[in-house]
Amino acid sequence: MTAGDLFLQQAINGLSLGAMYSLLALGFTLVYGIMELINFSHFNVFMVGAMIAMLTLQAFGLHGQETILTGLPLIGVLLVAFIVSMTVCGFIGVGIERFLLRPLRSVKGPAAMITTIGVSYILFNVILLTIGTDSKNFPNPLPPITWEIGGAVLRLREILIWVIALILMGGLTYFVTYTKLGKAMRATAQDPEAARMMGVEVDQVVMSAFFLGSALAGASGMIFGLYYNLAKVDIGFASGLRAFTAAVLGGIGNVPGAMLGGVLIGLIESASGQLVGTAWSDVVIFGILVLVLVFRPAGLLGRLAPNKS
Amino acid sequence: MNTTTAAHPSAALTHKQRSLLLTIIAFIFFALLPKFWTDDGDLDSLANAMSYATLALGLNIVVGFAGLLDLGYAAFFAIGAYYYGIFTSFQVMPVWSDAWAPLAYVGLVEKLNQGGPDLVHFTLSFWLALPTGGVIAAFFGMLFGFPVLRLRGDYLAIVTLGFGEIVQICARNMESLTNGAAGLNGVQGPKLFGYRFGVHSEPYYYVGLLLVAFLVFVSFRLRGSRIGRAWMAIREDETAASAMGISLVNYKLLAFAMGAAFAGMTGVFFVAKLQTATPEMFNSAVSSMLLVMVVLGGMGSVWGVVVGAVLLQLMQTWFLPQSSEWLHSLGKLTGIGFLQTVDMVQWTQLIFGVILVLMMLFRRQGLIPAVRKVAPLTMQQQTASVVRGGFVGLDKIGRWAPGTGDALVIKDVVVKFGGLVALNKVSLTVPDGGVVAVIGPNGSGKSTLFNVITGLVEADSGSISFKGVELLGLAPHKVLEAGVARTFQNIRLFPNLNVLENILIGEHARLKTGPFGAVIRPPSVVREENTAVQWAKDIAAMFSNRLTPRLDQTVSGLSYANRRRVEIARALASRPKILLLDEPTAGMNPAESLELAEQIKSLHDLGLTILLIEHKLDVVTRLADNVIVLDHGDKIAEGLPDDVRKDEEVLRAYLGRSGGH
Amino acid sequence: MVETPLLEFKGINTYYGDLHVLKDVDYTIGKGEIISLLGGNACGKSTTMKTIMGVVRAARGTVTYEGQEINTLATSERVRRGIAPVLEARRLFPRMTVYENLEMGAYTQPRGAQFEEDIERVYSLFPRVKERRNQLSGTLSGGEQQMVAIGRALMARPKLICMDEPSMGLSPLFVELVFDTIQTINRQGVSIFMVEQNANMALSIAHRGYVLQSGVVVLSGTAQELRENEMIKQAYLGEMEIEPT
Repeated sequence: MTAGDLFLQQAINGLSLGAMYSLLALGFTLVYGIMELINFSHFNVFMVGAMIAMLTLQAFGLHGQETILTGLPLIGVLLVAFIVSMTVCGFIGVGIERFLLRPLRSVKGPAAMITTIGVSYILFNVILLTIGTDSKNFPNPLPPITWEIGGAVLRLREILIWVIALILMGGLTYFVTYTKLGKAMRATAQDPEAARMMGVEVDQVVMSAFFLGSALAGASGMIFGLYYNLAKVDIGFASGLRAFTAAVLGGIGNVPGAMLGGVLIGLIESASGQLVGTAWSDVVIFGILVLVLVFRPAGLLGRLAPNKS
Repeated sequence: MNTTTAAHPSAALTHKQRSLLLTIIAFIFFALLPKFWTDDGDLDSLANAMSYATLALGLNIVVGFAGLLDLGYAAFFAIGAYYYGIFTSFQVMPVWSDAWAPLAYVGLVEKLNQGGPDLVHFTLSFWLALPTGGVIAAFFGMLFGFPVLRLRGDYLAIVTLGFGEIVQICARNMESLTNGAAGLNGVQGPKLFGYRFGVHSEPYYYVGLLLVAFLVFVSFRLRGSRIGRAWMAIREDETAASAMGISLVNYKLLAFAMGAAFAGMTGVFFVAKLQTATPEMFNSAVSSMLLVMVVLGGMGSVWGVVVGAVLLQLMQTWFLPQSSEWLHSLGKLTGIGFLQTVDMVQWTQLIFGVILVLMMLFRRQGLIPAVRKVAPLTMQQQTASVVRGGFVGLDKIGRWAPGTGDALVIKDVVVKFGGLVALNKVSLTVPDGGVVAVIGPNGSGKSTLFNVITGLVEADSGSISFKGVELLGLAPHKVLEAGVARTFQNIRLFPNLNVLENILIGEHARLKTGPFGAVIRPPSVVREENTAVQWAKDIAAMFSNRLTPRLDQTVSGLSYANRRRVEIARALASRPKILLLDEPTAGMNPAESLELAEQIKSLHDLGLTILLIEHKLDVVTRLADNVIVLDHGDKIAEGLPDDVRKDEEVLRAYLGRSGGH
Repeated sequence: MVETPLLEFKGINTYYGDLHVLKDVDYTIGKGEIISLLGGNACGKSTTMKTIMGVVRAARGTVTYEGQEINTLATSERVRRGIAPVLEARRLFPRMTVYENLEMGAYTQPRGAQFEEDIERVYSLFPRVKERRNQLSGTLSGGEQQMVAIGRALMARPKLICMDEPSMGLSPLFVELVFDTIQTINRQGVSIFMVEQNANMALSIAHRGYVLQSGVVVLSGTAQELRENEMIKQAYLGEMEIEPT
């Protein structure tokens, strides 16, 4: 493999990872933009999404990579899995907001954040106790079609991931830009009291943000499963760290920022895996996080700075 | 003066005595425990519980006292542990040279030969490692604390979480140092007078007990000192803390260092007992468990976190395994298969999560709250007729030395927020011993002026000099040290602290006790505290019977007017050379406003220089020698109160330009 | 003939914590009137606005709108029934376009023909706004933002517009424009409740006014009566010898 081929392969990998991180970061930033709350449970909702997608695919009788589907059955099965995963995760998010966070909305200090830490633990351990700690084989019904570009390999799954991510990101962008509820969300993120005085039901907006954010986490989880062919109970933390860094890098609270950040982090992770080995890539990502927070807290595109004002 | 039957002072005394008695009883109980409860496994569990208790105490300093949410606290635990582990095990063994001889002489190393060249075997004494481990961990505490100083609470949490992970990754991957995931082995236990601690738990139990007792002692000493007050001020309101002379950087770093030191020492103890160290012992699960202990026990509550630690440890080592057995029996009885094989210990983390959520929803203050509920005022005290009028007891306050010339000189100060010019080349002077008032309509820049003087806002150009010291560019706590104290328009007290503590914090810059003094409490420190408390009481007494009966009441429960008075008292406690009052009569009715005006006048009579923002013109007329009028960031008038109130420009600024309709 | 007033405050007492911000306040806003609430700093003007909009609830007293008590009515419902705000310092949504801000004003209204009509009406009232309709509102000047803010309120088809300090931070030219516009809107049948520090301007277009000092109504009357009352100066400058009338 020439250097160019290597570079291309890294780029392909990086973009796939980036797609996943973008979606996860987007979901996270949606909630943060409105509530200024770091939702620690987001990343385990992602893990739950992966698990649910896996169970849905298994319900279709798919196991491992033995069964290959094509055409309509393939699309149908994947679509159902996505929808189920996203919907369940969405409702988990709504449940968290409605019952655990809304009572704390007026409480100052770390109470809400600590609650999300607790929820994160609960989600993790419920899965741990029901599904177990071992790595589960994520069913992948995609035919093993590949293309060769120079010396690099592009798999069908990568195209699929990009397509899904683009659809979802496009859908979300359309939603916040053109729909009434989406605009209400943007307005609430910019000035909740003024939004309220326009007649916006802030409670409704917050719940919707949680639903969408968690649904995106679920979709991202399914993408993880498709990419790595596995689902494991502890995938939340590493991906979460990367998605969080992506959101901060792009500018927290900022939708295009999350997307840009996701892609960048995906590419960086791919490169660092090559350069310093995967054991240390956590450290690299974390280092970027600290650097951004200390030197450019608003991120590349952002306007909501994570410092005290 | 109110003559109450002092429900308050004697209750406080009995409480302290009661606490001390309980503590002594508890200590004796635990000291004698191994004599009649000889199960080695149980003692070992208890010794572990002690470790977690000391860790919780350390985390309590960072999270509970200083309000810094550190989620990666186990990193410091690991640092202490690996420090001791590496220097007593056979992991790191450099080649011997004669340079090592002096260290061998003092017993820190020994020459070892396992066939091949002579090697250095580190034999660090446990008793030496304990304090030095604390110091090394403290150093790392400051190192990790430094980049997070300016981060907001939630970001601080994430970054500290990351630091915790990094330390664990290092432990796992720097195999030459730590033997990676397999862990260090051959770690030596402690040796006391030639007797080496073996595998029996009892000696470790006693060391653990002493460690807990020591760190509880240190925690209480810190909390009741100038240091603890500074931390709590930072936790409650950083801006106000800074304006009262507390260096945010120094105290946050100190909190990190102290907390880390506790963890470092615990690490040394823990590993000495276990005689091995693996990365898993210091992972994020441990950090989270410590957080749960602190949340359960009560953030900021010393006994609370100890109880929380013991309860959670008991839960894990006794209750969960025991309940598994009960469920197994129940399962056999009812024939339910699931119950027969359930292992409740696996539910530990799930229970932790549930505890966190439930505590936040229903009992945020924890099992043993840090803020003690004080008996409310008796009816007699509440309805005691308020003695109106100026300040009393001014003889205790003393005078300010008269000076000549200008105390505060503000020259051409420009402050811009983005495109908006908040202050446009504003100049004013306050003569020494004078009272100057700044008035103006909404949005004229009055509060911005105070903020730029006290360092909360940066100026784009100009100069502010106070008694020869240039204030622009100084951090707020340095401005206070220069003698400039202020109150805030919307009152920034420390809500969960009581009146006395709030006023004492005003004295922060005048006191000198450091952390060591706080813990050791030599006579000089005791003297300093007593003088400080007396001074605070004298200042509170100035407000006749309004504040004195309420000294141990939490300020969040006080009336608006009383909170205003406490804020003024706090500023006066710093014995400033100039007092900046930002709309002191806001929210007061006419009678209260006039009373406060009288009180401010008596301060003036004592020689205190005062700069006042006020919009009530008769308060201003009563007090001010000179009035400055601001409008939209410009100074539009200056002069005697009577002249200013008739000035056309001023009227126009307040009432608006006439329209052409 | 005594017509039912559009909005009425009776004995309103509002607190922030234990700070008594509004003390036994009575106002009446009749249909088609421009009412001005005047007063100096920190006298309770903004709290009045917030109580009308429902962001703050009165501890005692009643707020009556169109004959019905609305004390516990949600803000969104009040907007739906015809009370729209123009907020202090505009408070547009800075990262949304002018058009989107106007859309947000019509949040409680149905989309369709009515919406298009209303937008056109705002554009004809403020040609500048039409010009800048695709610009991010945060980039507009203070005066332009004020026009958008008024337009945003109009999009809710209000019967009553509550304005908080409409002249604050504006150049004299824009102040004239704003007050002209208020009169125009009023002539079209919309009642205006205007909290304003600029007493002179406010009284030149208002029908009646109230002067608030430390949460108490100290003066009230027609605009003419208030203009001629010397005591207004005292109320503004915060002198406390005035007894409430």
